[in-house]
Amino acid sequence: MDVRTNRDRLVTQVLAGEVWPPLADRHAYRVDPEGAPFFLPGMGGVTLGVHCGDPATGYAADHVEPGLSVRHRDAGANYALQFLTCVGNSVTVTSGPAAGANGFVIGQHAYVLVELEPEAMDGVTTGDKVRVLAVGQGLALADHPRVILKNCSPSLLAAMPGGTAADGRLSVHVAAVVPAAAMGAGVGMVSEYANTDLMGAYAGLPADLSLGLEGLRIGDVVALSDQDHRFGRGRAEGWCTIGVISTGHCMAFGHGPGPSSIMVGPSEAFDLVLDERANLANLAGALR
Amino acid sequence: MPAGRRQLAVNLLGVVEHATSGASPYAIGRDGRPYVPAGDGGLVLGVDLGEGVWERAADHVAPGACLVHPDPAARLALTGLSCLGNEAILRSGAAAGARGVVVGKRGEAGRVIVRFPPEVLATMAPGDEVSVRAEGQGHPPIGDVRVMNLAAELLEGLATRSAGTLRVPVRCEIASALMGNGIGRPAVQWCLDLQLDPLNAGLHGAARLALGDLVALDDVDARFNIGYRRGWSTVGVVVHGGSPLPGHGPGIVAVLTGPAAALELEVDAEAHRGLAGALGA
Repeated sequence: MDVRTNRDRLVTQVLAGEVWPPLADRHAYRVDPEGAPFFLPGMGGVTLGVHCGDPATGYAADHVEPGLSVRHRDAGANYALQFLTCVGNSVTVTSGPAAGANGFVIGQHAYVLVELEPEAMDGVTTGDKVRVLAVGQGLALADHPRVILKNCSPSLLAAMPGGTAADGRLSVHVAAVVPAAAMGAGVGMVSEYANTDLMGAYAGLPADLSLGLEGLRIGDVVALSDQDHRFGRGRAEGWCTIGVISTGHCMAFGHGPGPSSIMVGPSEAFDLVLDERANLANLAGALR
Repeated sequence: MPAGRRQLAVNLLGVVEHATSGASPYAIGRDGRPYVPAGDGGLVLGVDLGEGVWERAADHVAPGACLVHPDPAARLALTGLSCLGNEAILRSGAAAGARGVVVGKRGEAGRVIVRFPPEVLATMAPGDEVSVRAEGQGHPPIGDVRVMNLAAELLEGLATRSAGTLRVPVRCEIASALMGNGIGRPAVQWCLDLQLDPLNAGLHGAARLALGDLVALDDVDARFNIGYRRGWSTVGVVVHGGSPLPGHGPGIVAVLTGPAAALELEVDAEAHRGLAGALGA
């Protein structure tokens, strides 16, 4: 993105985490929007075969977390890992047969979600350790004072198309514009933790649930209408939040593919460009 | 639950909550300003049903005493099984034996909100024990309308059966896009905050929104978590006041949910009385 930033003033912190196993309880089942019980994979662990650019929906899964789901054992260290890690940060596997494999952060979802090359993923299992180079909180745009960046690594910002437009607005390429009615679980939580599930994207379920969002892909850069995520995730008419879809298909009602928030500003500060290539898959070369 | 199966009543122990805080006193409001949340849980004096949700300089304030349980799972069961209108009996302190009524509950870790007469509340303290006679979950549906979180006798005071529908007086009818924290959570254990504040409330007929009011939400289904479903309607009772937090605001507990055609809403933005009227507050 063609913008002036303060990236040379940011610090990088080395953080550590481990691939956290999926968790179940003794009752096993959750309930879908029609009241049917399900027991399906999705959250936690090493999720294979779902990468940036792939469909976000259409899996027999709940809360699909692509790639590695990473957290820290210590509660305070984990909050730091979740809050400080930014979309696009570089990650290295540090234990197990895949040690040395490099990847990048797709987003947060109560875990840091990490994309690796498919062949490296095969060698990772739960409990394996990773190292995260966390940089990005504090990143600011010199020429767009009303636009706030969060959870956005300098390398992601640099790799994104767009930038300062001729009329002074910030040009951002997005794959979709999401209506405010889609905002689901995650509203009211802090913007640096987990993400905002989008309702209306339950592929394969009845039409009265649909808000037309079944075509979202993992890694899509999207615009969230009437959302102000500067100080937590809330609705504000005339504001716009830019997010990156970091999680996918949900069966739980009120949940769905989730964007991690990376930019917030008044709608008039943005020049949104609909671009189906606005996906982390097309920026991955700059992030690994 | 099919008609013809008897509902169970259970006695549950609740303990009056002490207000809690993290290591920092500040929360951050939607305007970016830090504030110290007052009235968010615990034991609150002087606030009652019928009071406007933005009358106090407070955060998520509820009328009366919030009950919890020291065991996290028992706390969730207390929250899930207690229903609006259930009777609660104070078991400790100077006013032991006094009776209160469940008028709300709140989500995540779980809290039950009990209204006591002011002279009883004045004698109470955090740690007091209260027994809740919990009854109401398992109410048979009325036509296509699911009933939850509501004592059967209170339902009669809030809604009227008419041919094929339920007639329900409400303060206002709100678009689903104003749902806030609580979306995607089970309506038996969580309240749903509405993203209403004094600045936007007038646009949605909610300027006079008060504790205990009934509110209808368009395109919301609360049967299996709370979420968006076109053509559905959910009616909830306002259980706590407004909040400066982004994504938060006055909270409702869902009590009726069904196809919109099965609920006949009577919107009265001015004179609606809701739970305050039904309980004689």
